[in-house]
Amino acid sequence: MSKTVQLADAAADFVAEVEHASAANLAACLQCAKCTSGCPVAARGDVKPHVLVRLVQLGQRDAVLGCRTIWECTSCQTCATRCPQGVSIAAMNDALRQMSRAAGKVVAGTRVPLFNDIFLRTVRRLGRMYEVGLMTSFKLRTRDFFSDTDKVPTMLKKGKLSILPPRVAGKGERKQLFDRARRAGGAK
Amino acid sequence: MSYVFYPGCSLEGTARDFHLSTMAVAKALGLELPELPGWICCGSTAAHQSDPLLALALPAKNLAAANGETVAVCCAACYSRLKAANHEIARDAKVRRQVSDIIGADYDGRTPVRHLLEILARDIGPEKIAEHVKRPLAGLRAVCYYGCLLSRPPEVTNFDDAENPTLMDTLVAACGAEAVDWPHKTECCGASYSITDVGIVQSLTHEILAMAKAAGADCIVTACPLCQLNLDMRQKEIEAKFGESYGLPVFYFTQVLGLALGLEPKALGLSSLVVDPMALVSRI
Repeated sequence: MSKTVQLADAAADFVAEVEHASAANLAACLQCAKCTSGCPVAARGDVKPHVLVRLVQLGQRDAVLGCRTIWECTSCQTCATRCPQGVSIAAMNDALRQMSRAAGKVVAGTRVPLFNDIFLRTVRRLGRMYEVGLMTSFKLRTRDFFSDTDKVPTMLKKGKLSILPPRVAGKGERKQLFDRARRAGGAK
Repeated sequence: MSYVFYPGCSLEGTARDFHLSTMAVAKALGLELPELPGWICCGSTAAHQSDPLLALALPAKNLAAANGETVAVCCAACYSRLKAANHEIARDAKVRRQVSDIIGADYDGRTPVRHLLEILARDIGPEKIAEHVKRPLAGLRAVCYYGCLLSRPPEVTNFDDAENPTLMDTLVAACGAEAVDWPHKTECCGASYSITDVGIVQSLTHEILAMAKAAGADCIVTACPLCQLNLDMRQKEIEAKFGESYGLPVFYFTQVLGLALGLEPKALGLSSLVVDPMALVSRI
């Protein structure tokens, strides 16, 4: 049975917001589900990729920004590559992750936002990734001290870890770059 | 053609053997790869998931520093981010202005970016590479694993066929090995969920290992530090979790090429591989 749904203004605003942030061409989606067929994490996700697009089209802000799928998407770009309508679902997911965080709707249990924050803080401070520092901060913040501890001796033995942080000149300039990016993003 | 080399962070950490083998192979082929001075991180997944302008500004900062020279890259993730920045900046004047304001220099998005696979298989070419082969890898059955970010999305990377890339296969064949055809060339390994949600990586990587084995390969050849790490370092725990036995060495393509060029395992960092490749190497 078909049902007509009237989009409230707030819902229409949400669609426009996602479209503006991602340029994902969301209105073109035909619900063919080719994205879901090729998605490596669709089987485990709470919302399938094509359903997520539909929920955005219908302005379901809370369901979309609070779903687990956006924090399980691996950004592999298979969906965007195969979409016959040129919908950039991967770009949509990037925008949804940012909106989810800004709205305080991030699903409980995901550690992705924390990891991203520590990663970017490390780059801002040092200019390059510092795996030992990143993992130490991440483990302290998640209080997950035991997973993968068996990997550390292997990585040390195999020469896969630099104990000392990288040294790259231009710390002040980097800080400015990060600050300007944040200001420009906020002013959009 | 001349290049300036952008190593990226992984090549100074977990993928130091990728760096070492790249330099060794370049030297053997007479390819000069001077390092881009003062390069910084491309921002990787963390930046594009968090801050769209930062995700363009970090690559742009590096690309602007190259002063128009072709930037050579080994890491598939860096390659993807540098290419994405070029794509966005070159097609949109407003984005170009915003990014230029952030990095403090006008960058037009037109500095060429080449993956080392493109340089070897296109700019130099498999025929020329084959002329340098001193120790043909006859009998080696390799599956080439490209992962996600070299070929997708194709309008951004313009790397090779998005579903069935063959650049690495042509190089492996030029080394005298058999590049075994298989369906998982561009499947996703789960990437940085290795740290945030390891179950995703274990199940995806398990499928890739199982398919490589089913295809009759005796090793996997990779072009991405994170793919290599997931397939190699997590192989043992995946075998335990799924009750399988793979024992598949996971090389960087530069290590396989280096062996064919007659370089010593030590010069190619083979001791950094977690699944020991030496029994296989001594067999060929």
